Amino acid sequence: MSTSRLLIGILLGIAIGLVYGWGLHPVELVDTTPDTLQETYRIDYVIMVADAYSLDQDLQQALIRLAALGPQAPDEMVIAAINDGIEREIPREDLESLNELAVQLRSLPSSPGVQAP
Amino acid sequence: MTRRDTLSLLLGAILGIAAGVTYSWVINPLSFNETTPASLRTVYREEYVLLTALSFAKTGNLEQAQGRLAVFTDINAASELSRLAQLSLSEERPVDEARALAQLAAALSNPATPSPTAVTATPTPTGTPPSSPTPTLQPAATRVPTATPGAPFALVSSEPICDPRVSQPLLMVYVQDADGNPLPGIAVLIRWDEGQDQFFTGLKPEIGLGYGDVDITPGVVYQLELVDGQVPITGLESSPCTNELGQTYPGSIELIFQQPSP
Repeated sequence: MSTSRLLIGILLGIAIGLVYGWGLHPVELVDTTPDTLQETYRIDYVIMVADAYSLDQDLQQALIRLAALGPQAPDEMVIAAINDGIEREIPREDLESLNELAVQLRSLPSSPGVQAP
Repeated sequence: MTRRDTLSLLLGAILGIAAGVTYSWVINPLSFNETTPASLRTVYREEYVLLTALSFAKTGNLEQAQGRLAVFTDINAASELSRLAQLSLSEERPVDEARALAQLAAALSNPATPSPTAVTATPTPTGTPPSSPTPTLQPAATRVPTATPGAPFALVSSEPICDPRVSQPLLMVYVQDADGNPLPGIAVLIRWDEGQDQFFTGLKPEIGLGYGDVDITPGVVYQLELVDGQVPITGLESSPCTNELGQTYPGSIELIFQQPSP
């Protein structure tokens, strides 16, 4: 058996396997949590949390919702959403909501360590 | 190329494909941090839909809400919103949640539906986050007219309804603005001797955007009140009806409320 042909075959096979597994037929996950969302959806999630906070003024509820996005500090998530929102020119009301939530989060004395639901 | 070379190449390719697929599906799949809301666990999907409704209640931006719900290709968004609104009421969650869900359900069923009442402008924060540059703001989404905030609803019609096709007697409520346009998302509270219940207009858009109903029991006297109404409507009770065969059955009650002209 030719070793060089075997190696060439393996390399070609790996390339084909990766193209198939990542490009043509990637894994579709189910029952995921918000912390696995694509960046675009994560940002949008933060915007919606801010809009909801703007309505109910329930900061604890907003913290619980943001905690579902992962261990990042809540105020950092909101700041990131503001920066992204400015870049993408999202509606003014969304920016106002984000700004309001960011100010409230920054005024918290320390991280309350909220757990996701 | 000899037959042996060909076999080596084929064997290597098979081994390589197996290794490549294993790596891309099991060891390092692309989508671990690249999922969409459609793959979320049910409880998070419902939270996402709720947040979409609350955001719509804040901004009135229907196009944005439709875009957010479009990722859920396996559900009827309006039906799901109505279901979640009923669930929210049954779980006695904040009324604003059910109202927002009902309003978005109605808006999706009929895009000409009046948008949520504009939210009172929030005070300008005393300071902006240190790392955020001054936002370049663009105009807010245009709102269509809606009910005059604060104006009470008045009962304009109350009639017994005899419909033999309706097996369970209903208390049917229609709510309109001053121009006669149906208004979704209006909270209706009913009380009786042993309890109370609440529902919203707009959860059955196939009947009417300003329509809501609740089952009633013959022999029980009800009191109904719109959250923004003037006075409770008392003495509501199912009346007996007679069908073509002379058989009696419990009738329903239809109430129409309208917001007076400003």
